[in-house]
Amino acid sequence: MNTILNRAGRNFLLRHPWQLALALLGITLGVAVVIAIDLALDSALQSFKQVEQTVSGKATHRIAGGEGGLDEALYRKLRVEHGIRNLAPVLQTYLPIQQNPKIKLRVIGIDPFAENAFRSGWQSGQDGAQAAIRLVAEANTAIIGRQTAEALGLSIGDELIVATGTGDRRLRIVDLIAPASAVAAEALSNIVIADISTVQEITGWFGRLSHIDVIIPETDPHKVQARLADILPGDVSLVSIATQFESMQQMTEAFSINLSAMGLLSLLVGMFLIYNTMTFLVLQRRGLIGNLRLIGVTRRQISRMILTEALILAAIGTMLGIGLGLLLGQVMLQPVTATVDTLYFRVDRLSLSVSPLQIGKAVLLGIGATLLAVIPPLREANRFSPKHALTRSQLESGSRRLSRSILLLGILLIAAGFAIGFLSETSIKLGLASVFLLLFGFALLTPATTLAVMSCVETLSGRLFGILGKLPPRMVGAEISRTGVAIAALMIAVAATIGMNLMIDSFRVTVAQWLNTTLQADLYVSIAGDKTARDKAVKDRQLKAIIAELAEVDQVSTVLHTQVVADDMPVKVSAFELTEASKNGFVFKQAFDTGLWRAFEEQETVIVTEPYAYHNKVKAGDTIALQTAKGLQDFKILGIYYDYSGDRGRLAMSRTQYLRYWPDLGYTGIGVYGVAGSDLNVLESRLRDRLPQALDLKSSRAIFDASMQVFNETFLITETLRWLAAGIAFVGVFGSLMALQFERTRQLGILRAIGMTPGQLTGLICAETGLMGLTAGLIAIPVGLLVAYVLIYIVYLRSFGWTMTFHLNPTMLIQGLLLAVFAALLAGILPAYRMARTRPAEALRAE
Amino acid sequence: MTPANNFIEIDGLTKNYRETGRPVTIFDNLSLSVKRGELLVLLGRSGSGKSTLLNLLGGIDRPDSGRIVIDGIELTSLSEHRRTLFRRHHIGFVFQSYQLIPTLTVMDNLLLPLELIQPTGKAGRNKAAELLNNLDLSDRLDTYPDRLSGGEQQRVAIARALIHDPLLVLADEPTGNLDLQTGQQVMSLLDKLVRQSGKTLILATHSREVMGIADRILTIRDHSLIETDD
Repeated sequence: MNTILNRAGRNFLLRHPWQLALALLGITLGVAVVIAIDLALDSALQSFKQVEQTVSGKATHRIAGGEGGLDEALYRKLRVEHGIRNLAPVLQTYLPIQQNPKIKLRVIGIDPFAENAFRSGWQSGQDGAQAAIRLVAEANTAIIGRQTAEALGLSIGDELIVATGTGDRRLRIVDLIAPASAVAAEALSNIVIADISTVQEITGWFGRLSHIDVIIPETDPHKVQARLADILPGDVSLVSIATQFESMQQMTEAFSINLSAMGLLSLLVGMFLIYNTMTFLVLQRRGLIGNLRLIGVTRRQISRMILTEALILAAIGTMLGIGLGLLLGQVMLQPVTATVDTLYFRVDRLSLSVSPLQIGKAVLLGIGATLLAVIPPLREANRFSPKHALTRSQLESGSRRLSRSILLLGILLIAAGFAIGFLSETSIKLGLASVFLLLFGFALLTPATTLAVMSCVETLSGRLFGILGKLPPRMVGAEISRTGVAIAALMIAVAATIGMNLMIDSFRVTVAQWLNTTLQADLYVSIAGDKTARDKAVKDRQLKAIIAELAEVDQVSTVLHTQVVADDMPVKVSAFELTEASKNGFVFKQAFDTGLWRAFEEQETVIVTEPYAYHNKVKAGDTIALQTAKGLQDFKILGIYYDYSGDRGRLAMSRTQYLRYWPDLGYTGIGVYGVAGSDLNVLESRLRDRLPQALDLKSSRAIFDASMQVFNETFLITETLRWLAAGIAFVGVFGSLMALQFERTRQLGILRAIGMTPGQLTGLICAETGLMGLTAGLIAIPVGLLVAYVLIYIVYLRSFGWTMTFHLNPTMLIQGLLLAVFAALLAGILPAYRMARTRPAEALRAE
Repeated sequence: MTPANNFIEIDGLTKNYRETGRPVTIFDNLSLSVKRGELLVLLGRSGSGKSTLLNLLGGIDRPDSGRIVIDGIELTSLSEHRRTLFRRHHIGFVFQSYQLIPTLTVMDNLLLPLELIQPTGKAGRNKAAELLNNLDLSDRLDTYPDRLSGGEQQRVAIARALIHDPLLVLADEPTGNLDLQTGQQVMSLLDKLVRQSGKTLILATHSREVMGIADRILTIRDHSLIETDD
């Protein structure tokens, strides 16, 4: 019996390949987008983790200082004076290679004899011990990953030419790293290992280390930690490797959550598509189901038949979705990694890693979403009377009644969305949940709103165009069970697009205003390079003097961007030498007294960026304890200023205060203020003549443009995902229209029979689809505004700590409306074309 | 004018369909003449081609070969667009399953063919109201089709077929979905209205009850038309 039942259902599906394909497409696209984001994000983080773990080897902790690194005397002191074993000094940097300047290799200087206990992943090929001896004994030697060597066409004995600040350096390859596992091989692919003295020589960082790796035995770790804490200077800390990974993960949490939310948006829109298609498949078979009930098939058997179908569709769609997600993930890996790289930390390697857990999640999501979407049509199927199948109009009047009930549910969800949004304090997830509740709530209002809009349109168009004018709104309203869902799906996608557009635009305007305020100097000299290089501070001071001496230069300001340590975690700090003009570049959240800048220069004080204050829950008047060479030192927070250069925040202190506690690492940038009325082009060319070629000189305009470029690139992935959601909604509308026209074939045939031309029929269908798009767009405008509001004032503030000014750009609202109308019209073209081409006699024969 | 002043002239009509890849012949070299104002009944088994012949006469289907001339206009030589316009002005259809537009009220269903020709305004509404009054449907003007009984729906369909004063009314099994008594009522209405207005009616059926009203009875058998006397 069940086999025959299933065959009845299956035959129906096979006779409606369009609907079948669209249902599969809904599941496939929804799953694909979610898994792609998951994979790309996870791969970026995993890549980072794998490389760091392989490089760290068996090290459990790391002794690290600020950005200036450590004095190598500390290593000697720990090992010789205090007899602490299981230490490995490391000096690392990234250097471009002459063979392929696009590639920057991670050059790691090690003490080969201290290494044995540490890095099992580095076992070199032929003879590890011999290679180690050669690294120490022979100058300018290195070992590199086998993969990198092959990619560069190098082999043992060849020279690798690295570009350093002081010119090209040649490193002779004495061995190739042949790690034990494929994962380690991949992780170590862009790494060069040399003796620490070789790296110190080629970088000019004599006597410096980046950090010291430590293995603290599991037996009594606290004793070793306490001992080290006693010995280490105040500005040097012992950090657990695991904690470091955790903090890296935390850094990207907000970014990950926001990106995942975009994926879930696609799934939500996809669910509408699945719901729509499943409803259609059930409604289309009301006759079949009624007949089956008549001959004694129970409700349970009908439910089983529909559930089996849904499960098969879900399984196929999910499998296809996983396949597509893998491809999409590969495409998205680059932009996701680029954003992580720009905002958070360097990711050396790009490769997609897939875990069974991710596949399991995708399977659960695909099947779960499909089953959830099939519940309403399943209930509908069980309502069919065994005596006679419900007529279409009965179903539609049922839907109209239902639209009133879901209107109430929608209002409740919207209220819940607002409540969660405003009462959920700092949670990003709850903030996003409120966005979803608002979107879903308004989606539920869509059918009732559509009916109201159609009633108004009908009155107007009826007066203008008579019966022909009444037909399109009537057709939309009469089949609200089908049109309502398509309009809701389109509305969600367009509202999300409007909301995201407004948010990004508001952000862009805020950042542009901030840059315009911040970039007070006329020209900026950017001093790249590693801060630990010998004589850097001296050279930088000389450079500043050269610039200041120029007749066209009025004043110069300087900044050093570096890191210090607070609570054993690195904190970004900027040490400023400010001019009166550059002080105007800081805009504070609260009013500040006139003595602020004096206190800033003369006392142990800092000003902090808004994200720093938000993430660390500090306010003006609080103190921050920073680790200095002299021990912990409290710095009072004078004020909180707006800054959009990063989402983790930074501290700013005067250079005078900085130099009291930390070593001079030179400058990161010098701001040049031209004499009033001087020609900036002349000043620029004079500066170019005087400055070393390697230095980067930019006008404030060029920095502004470059910053906005980075801004746009950062939002590239968000925009891509938004378009994907819109694409899925488009498929939804297309599917609905195809299904609708299919159901109406006969009705449209009658219109042709009584004298409607193919052109008029096309016009009728296009008017109907245009109206659907217009309704979606009209509802999407207020919803999009709300979404933007919640994103700006709740989600992004909580995620990144940035305050943005809501910038209402009416063009974006009009764009959203046009997008909805065009998407609907575009989706209607094929059904309209098909119908117009169908011969009336054929249409009249249609079932 | 068609030869010998015939209103409809069908000559050498051939129509085939393809069914699961095989050609199926419906008509083979079929010819027929119909005079203006004649009421013709087409008989034939299910699938014999009655509906196909009506579709060809209404211009909603095209023959493989042969000519159909209606009131001097060769329908088979017209483009799709011209055929649609011809149908709009000169043909009225009545279908077995009524085929009213479910999203329009009774009044709007009647006004639609008129408005396709030209906006009618109040005059059109009056004409429709009068027609519906004649059909005992004056209290159902604003009702949607699915609220009407089968007989009522078919009466609305007849009104829709006649509202624009067509030259030719094509009725395909108009009583097929109705009980005997309602069917007889509908047929007598159709007969009365068509005769009153002097229109030509071709009615396809397999019900012998309606033969009493026919001027001529034709049976489709073996891809050809055979005239029956009784």
